[in-house]
Amino acid sequence: MHASAASQRSILAVIPARNEAPTVADIVRRTLATGQCDVLVVDDASTDGTAELARKAGARVITAPFSLGAWGATQIGMRFAQRNRYHTVLTLDADGQHHPEELPKLLALLRRSGANVIIGTYAQRMSAARKVAGSYFRLLTRLHVQDFTSGLRAYDRRAVRALASREASLLDYQDMGVLMLLSKKGLVLQEAPTIMSPRRAGASRVFASWLLVARYMLHTTVLCFAQLGVRARIVVRPQTSPPADGLT
Amino acid sequence: MTSQLTSAAIGILLAGAILYLVRRDHMHGSYALWWLAIAAAILVLGVFPPVIDWLGRVSGISYPPILPIIVGIGMILIRMLRTDIDRSRQERQLRRLAQKLAILEQELASVRRVAEPTASNDFGRNKSARVIPLPKSGDA
Repeated sequence: MHASAASQRSILAVIPARNEAPTVADIVRRTLATGQCDVLVVDDASTDGTAELARKAGARVITAPFSLGAWGATQIGMRFAQRNRYHTVLTLDADGQHHPEELPKLLALLRRSGANVIIGTYAQRMSAARKVAGSYFRLLTRLHVQDFTSGLRAYDRRAVRALASREASLLDYQDMGVLMLLSKKGLVLQEAPTIMSPRRAGASRVFASWLLVARYMLHTTVLCFAQLGVRARIVVRPQTSPPADGLT
Repeated sequence: MTSQLTSAAIGILLAGAILYLVRRDHMHGSYALWWLAIAAAILVLGVFPPVIDWLGRVSGISYPPILPIIVGIGMILIRMLRTDIDRSRQERQLRRLAQKLAILEQELASVRRVAEPTASNDFGRNKSARVIPLPKSGDA
């Protein structure tokens, strides 16, 4: 069984998925094809056979007993990684907007840069709502991250330990809250420009409508206030070199 | 005099209801203690309303009947705050429990696959397949 053989490796790709049957198998195969990591799909109580498709594609699958939300599912991956002594965790979405082919780039940067977290960003996908939210949160937290909702990330062992903790269990999305928690722990974040596709199926859970955006902004603002006072210690090293194809 | 009877009846009824529920073990630990204290206060104020006037005089409030109302609202707010804090704590515990359950289920499934690769197919037919031994430490 691949389970025992694969546990010798030390990098785990965590793919949270809720009803992503059309894309999940393809993403799993392409992630495995990078040859650098084990693949764990966290099935967030899907009803469309996502788990079975992911398993057939070669991923290990953990199914949540009930929906835990995007972050709740991702945290299962963090706790699994910690339990099984993986030293690096990659996260990507199952909906096809993140390209698994970009993962080696994030890994290389994680090793090279000395940062604890690499955030894969794609400046061009920034919609008006996202931009407004982005500048607002930058103002609020002085956390200079362009794309704070990107789920394409690489975390080192220290970051994984922080994110598997009880402290991180009441967060709802893998975004500002997670970034603030990490900076509170003194971890270094760095962004890496990557290529992403528009969503093939489904819609963003956060930026679906202005009403949801407003709710989300309010929620995150409260979170920012709860974390106020930690922002002085934040160290962010922005990636300055432009990507190969000229996206910035 | 009737007003005192009414207030005593309400006090006794409320305190009795709380006491009954606490005695029935519907509330645990600190909740029971809190409600017993409330029941006692209601009983005293209901049966001896002059206590309110006395409290008003002592605390310098010119319209004493407002005192129990303000204190009551304050207590309710504190109670609600406590409830929300408790709920957040429980939500955290529930999420972590669900996560651990999910991880352990996956581990159990993979241990079973290693222990008895064919077990999943003759689960109904073969009675011995129901008891799946764990691998010994030397195995695997």
